[in-house]
Amino acid sequence: MTQPNVLYNPSEEQILEQEVRRHILITPWDKLLDLVNPVYNWGRRSSIWPLQFGLACCAIEMICTAASRFDIARFGAELFRASPRQADLMIVSGTVTKKMVPMIVRLYNQMPEPKYVISMGACATAGGPFKEGYNVVSGIDKFLPVDVYIPGCPPTPQALLHALITLQEKIDKQSIRTVRWYKKGPAEEVPVPRLGPDLFDVRRSEEIREKCAAPGFTSEPAATQKPAMIPAAKTTPTETEGAAPAAAALSRRINEALGPDTAIPAGASLVVSAGAIEKVGHYLKVQPDLHLDYLANLTCTDYQDCYEVVYHLASTGKPGVPIALKVRADKTDPRIPSVTSVWRGADFQERECWDLFGVWFEGHPNLKRILMWEGFEGHPMRKDYLEPYYESPAKIFPSRWKEGHHRRAEERTPFGDNVTYPAGFNPEEWVEPKESFRPGDAPSAGSAHTDTLVVNLGPQHPSTHGVFRMKIRVDGERILALEPVMGYMHRNHEKIGERNTWLMIFPYTDRLDYICSMGNNFGYAITVEKLLGVKPPERAEYIRVIMAELTRILSHFWATGFLLNDLGAFFTPALYAIEERELILDLFEMVSGSRMMCNYFRFGGVAADLPEEFMPLALALIRDRLPRAIEQIDRYLTHNEIILNRCRGVGVLPRDAAISSSAAGPMLRGSGVEYDVRKADPYSIYDRFHFKVPTFPEGDVYARYRIRIAEMWESLKILEQAIREIPKGEIQQGKKLWNIRVPAGESYGRVENPKGELGFYVVSDGTDHPYRYHVRAPSFINLTALETMCKGHLVADVVAILGSVDIVLGETDR
Amino acid sequence: MKIYGLELLRGLTITLGHFITSYTVGFKRTFKNRLRGRVSQHPDDKGIFTVQYPEERLKTPERFRVLPMLIFDGKKGEQWKQETERCTACGICAKVCPPQCIWIVQAKDASGKAVPKASEFTIDVDVCMNCGYCAEYCPFDAIKMDHTIELGGGERHQSHLFDINRLHVSTEYYAETHPKAWAEEQARKKADAEKKAAAAAKKSEPGPAA
Repeated sequence: MTQPNVLYNPSEEQILEQEVRRHILITPWDKLLDLVNPVYNWGRRSSIWPLQFGLACCAIEMICTAASRFDIARFGAELFRASPRQADLMIVSGTVTKKMVPMIVRLYNQMPEPKYVISMGACATAGGPFKEGYNVVSGIDKFLPVDVYIPGCPPTPQALLHALITLQEKIDKQSIRTVRWYKKGPAEEVPVPRLGPDLFDVRRSEEIREKCAAPGFTSEPAATQKPAMIPAAKTTPTETEGAAPAAAALSRRINEALGPDTAIPAGASLVVSAGAIEKVGHYLKVQPDLHLDYLANLTCTDYQDCYEVVYHLASTGKPGVPIALKVRADKTDPRIPSVTSVWRGADFQERECWDLFGVWFEGHPNLKRILMWEGFEGHPMRKDYLEPYYESPAKIFPSRWKEGHHRRAEERTPFGDNVTYPAGFNPEEWVEPKESFRPGDAPSAGSAHTDTLVVNLGPQHPSTHGVFRMKIRVDGERILALEPVMGYMHRNHEKIGERNTWLMIFPYTDRLDYICSMGNNFGYAITVEKLLGVKPPERAEYIRVIMAELTRILSHFWATGFLLNDLGAFFTPALYAIEERELILDLFEMVSGSRMMCNYFRFGGVAADLPEEFMPLALALIRDRLPRAIEQIDRYLTHNEIILNRCRGVGVLPRDAAISSSAAGPMLRGSGVEYDVRKADPYSIYDRFHFKVPTFPEGDVYARYRIRIAEMWESLKILEQAIREIPKGEIQQGKKLWNIRVPAGESYGRVENPKGELGFYVVSDGTDHPYRYHVRAPSFINLTALETMCKGHLVADVVAILGSVDIVLGETDR
Repeated sequence: MKIYGLELLRGLTITLGHFITSYTVGFKRTFKNRLRGRVSQHPDDKGIFTVQYPEERLKTPERFRVLPMLIFDGKKGEQWKQETERCTACGICAKVCPPQCIWIVQAKDASGKAVPKASEFTIDVDVCMNCGYCAEYCPFDAIKMDHTIELGGGERHQSHLFDINRLHVSTEYYAETHPKAWAEEQARKKADAEKKAAAAAKKSEPGPAA
């Protein structure tokens, strides 16, 4: 034994260590924490509370995920929190616009850690189909860290559940040692981006300043070819042949009454001299035989030689096609007298023309931007306004085919993003223009001298039905003045539409009022069919009516359910109301391939015939389930004392005010005006069906609720007749073409959508894309009367009144 | 005298009704449908049932559309080749695409002459609006709408750009997801072939004049 063995000759410390090892289990701190991980992660993954926050179409699918059929509660994620401070998960569901993104970032900052983000749908992920728009952010991940992206437009509820499971798996892999919320130091906030001449990220201020100051910097995109412009339609003197007889006769009459050369016919419409428009409007309104008291639509077109503002006038007393008046404004300094004194409904529409075209309306009470923000640079609907991602004047883009090497739109712009600034812009010195508010003009409610207060509601609020905002001046709880603020979902539908080919617009119309895509398809189809001169075959007409009426029922179910939400009966009535909607959506999915974005109508027909399994299911639904469900809602709600107390006498819109402010649909009929486009200006085959136009004279929230129930019954009647009479045969007139050219001319087509009169105004220059494409959105124009209805009521009634208007933001902001 | 709360009770009975139905219907369904994988609801059923995703999924109708896929003639698991590729790079899908998310490069042969095949075919999934026009207007049955919805993931910059390899699926797969359309296509092709054969036979026959 030469080598002493330590084991046989241990020192005291070694003995001690050996003893300790033998009797005590020693685990390093890190390893111990890893043992906690499964429990820690299990707790978090099973109780992900999403923020009650929806942006666009995808939010509807998110709501369906929370409803009975898909039941997100099975994953412990059913507690949608209205406050970001209680939420763990932000589901960015829909198009992120520049106007909205500062709010989204602020909400995210208010969420406590641990927090997660799901980017739901193509729009939230990268801008989606609206990517090229001037008000759209190319992906929420430019500002927030995203955990899961879901492709799809929109992703189905099951896809959202899959994403939730994916997120849970991600949480499972997290370790308590490395998660960011246990790191030392203050929590990192995302700097809130600001709205200048365009959206700017404050983290990039310096870069933006340098680039804008560089010599030769221009805000215009690099593309060389600008959109071509056409001159406005020629006018024809009254006496000559060529003018439409009705227009010639009307202009002669106006000229006799109001002086020569006041109105000159141009095709089927009248061109009125700018100074006389108010006078002419008043004259047409008071003439007993014309009685044009309803301003259906007001919009503008940018021509080579002028800005042409067009007014579509209809009469609520007498059926007929709307009459178009036009006023032409100078190109350099477009100014036109406002017609708000004649028709109050011109209010928002004139503001829209100012915002998007830069046409100033003299005498307008509150002319400022409406869809974009104050301070935005340029009037985007002008033909010479080019967006940062502008590529060429019209689709089809030549870069896509034959040598279509993929290149992201970001790579073509100087800032690598969908933004542009005027030369010399300095973000650090930018001051946002102060938001103005009209002072409340109602007298103070009580004798006590109380200060008035401005309350802000929205754009993130569970009861604003989307990203809608109201500025309210209150005295105590009473409302003195209210101003709607919108544009948080303005995704440039019209600008993109003017670049699209005629056919490409169909799927975009789906995304207007995304609850009623079939109805939107219908409106656009009949408008363009007027110019094309085609008529769909019988079977297609019946299919169209069936789809439109099913849409009406599901939309009214939705509106009724969510009205109850607004009254405080949170989610249960809404759940019951949208149960049947799921089954209607099954039918839509069966015929068109998509639950919400049906894209089912084509010019001169529909995309595909009804599958054979459609009829039995539809019959069972129409004859059995739907009547039962409507009956249940009716029985449950119509005489309910809470409904009666909260709805009767609240939000009264008198008959005259409803007509004057161009209210449409249930709003108009709830105020006792028997006006329904299906009867007043019959389209498709509606003249064959027997149905009534229900009206209620009270004009309050309750009347509007009753209208919706009554209309559902009428829709069932139409459906019953349509299903009984539908013939066999073709579903498409002529050959189905993808490259359609539409003869030059203009057309205003309108349909009675569930929300009201949905109109499309298109101007064709004979090419494969529209020169002007405008949507008369009922959700937008119905809001004109919101202040009238809300004045004098309590703050809590505002959400009920808004709920009874039933807006969908995709259509309000377009 | 007015009795308060009656309406409240009436409302609660409705909720109770839904609650009970959810059990009676639910139990029946549990035995009928459990583990079927794909479920659908007939309107004759009372109430509405919860789809137990991911164990079961809603039955997707054949026309259901999510993202486009390219078809090649072959079996599942095979690799697509230029010979089996159905696409002819005619570009109609790219021309009809509303958000212009389809990018096509036409293939060239060794001498640099263009051939009717696609060598690159890219779809930007984050721009695609799932409208189905590409499938509807493709004259060669080369592009169809896939039914896969489980696409969520943590990355987008690479994985959401579907290239020609990612897009291609076999006709076998297509026949499974779209059985009716596939049967129609086969019938049409058969009829066309017969017509062609008949025409060819007629041509080869000596005419009465000759």
